[in-house]
Amino acid sequence: MKELLFKEFKLALHPTTYLFLAIGALLLIPAYIYYVAFIYTCLSIFFVFLIARENKDALYTVSLPIRKRDAVKARCLMVAIIELSQTLIAVPFAIIGIRINPNPAGNVAGIEANMAFFGLVLIMYALFNFIFLSQFYKTATKVGGPLILSSIALAIYVTAAEAAVQMIPYLKTHLDTTDPATALYRLPVLILGIIIFALSLGYTYRKSAANFEKVDL
Amino acid sequence: MEILSVQNLNKRYPKFDLKDVSFSLEQGYIMGFIGRNGAGKTTTIKSILRLVHQDSGTVTVLGKDFAADEFACKQQIGLVLGGINYYPQKKLKVIADVTRRFYPEWDAAAFSGYLKRFDLDPDKTIKELSDGMRVKFALALALSHNARLLILDEPTSGLDPVSRDDLLELFQELIENSERSILFSTQITSDLEKCADFITYIKKGEIIASTARDDLVDSYKLIKGTSAQLTDALLPRLIGCKKTDFGFTALLRSADLPCAAGLQVDPSDLESIMIHIEKE
Repeated sequence: MKELLFKEFKLALHPTTYLFLAIGALLLIPAYIYYVAFIYTCLSIFFVFLIARENKDALYTVSLPIRKRDAVKARCLMVAIIELSQTLIAVPFAIIGIRINPNPAGNVAGIEANMAFFGLVLIMYALFNFIFLSQFYKTATKVGGPLILSSIALAIYVTAAEAAVQMIPYLKTHLDTTDPATALYRLPVLILGIIIFALSLGYTYRKSAANFEKVDL
Repeated sequence: MEILSVQNLNKRYPKFDLKDVSFSLEQGYIMGFIGRNGAGKTTTIKSILRLVHQDSGTVTVLGKDFAADEFACKQQIGLVLGGINYYPQKKLKVIADVTRRFYPEWDAAAFSGYLKRFDLDPDKTIKELSDGMRVKFALALALSHNARLLILDEPTSGLDPVSRDDLLELFQELIENSERSILFSTQITSDLEKCADFITYIKKGEIIASTARDDLVDSYKLIKGTSAQLTDALLPRLIGCKKTDFGFTALLRSADLPCAAGLQVDPSDLESIMIHIEKE
């Protein structure tokens, strides 16, 4: 598997993806819908698939001594590595952002960049991964359709998550704040996010591999 | 020793079927895989390697079942689908660096030897190579992991006659005194006259012959005659009869030669066999 991951990063990844990893810097903006920073990462993952397709990656990869499903596994892992790296890199920006913008009203555009938010972002990634990858591997060539479907799902999810936090008073007071006193209420959301992300990744791999197995290259 | 065996491979498409494709290749030989465009050559090769999802059939490589032991089987195979056309912007050395990691038997010294021999510059990108050079680079990769079975899909198409001849000579050299075998598909029958020991002929998804080249050529004769000689008794035995103003030319099974008394009988070649059989 490490050979396949090496191949993914050496051949399929465009160098701009590394630049995109630092897009967590958007969390420094005082009033912003912070989900947007992470949606950019979904876009950079889309580019990986686009570049791989344009370079006929699938035919090269499956001609190597691997099984078709190994190619899917490597791609799933690569996606998870990009997403988790970007999320981790965003954490210091979130901490700095809170310090340099001591705004009593907090982020007026959306949820604060706190633990709960990071949990919700991981759930967003889980949703994106499942829809984008499993749809892509139905054809292994069409990237537009999976992008549209996953974008619609992401738009609905982000709108619903933001609306819930802003409109439900209990969530507003406990989740949309960086007050250390209520931090314990936000931790379960983060843990839930991690669990859903991990479970979704496993399921995404199984579903995508099954879809790819049926594809005639 | 049997290096490749394909048994009853079936693949159904809406407008095309691969029907019970079976053939086998012994160690130390070159097999040419011929057929018209769209006859199923590439589909067969892709089905062998499971790039295409086969409906039924078994493939064994050096006695190992491909489906059960895909990793071991693929270690033994060097696959060249046309020339290399993936990652055209990448340098040869980068592609090689990625590829070598998958093969425990990778021989770095052999690889640099092949690069020198084929006059390939590792700092060039794939897109800078001509079609012939791309095939050679793919061969260099396959040979450096010590592949026993080279499967090449139309390696000579698009090459000029000199490069083609060069490549065919190389094929012969590669199997001489070695444990390798080559299966290559082509629609250029003269390629096969030069180097193939065996021919597998596919027509509309069905294998119609898989035999030694000389046996195949000997089993047919090319006959010519006048219109008057084209009798009702003779006609059903003729294969791909072409009528002209002066008479006819057709293919006849050697076994049917007694029917051809008084007609001009010439030895056949792969091209005439293919042309007449495809006319049926």
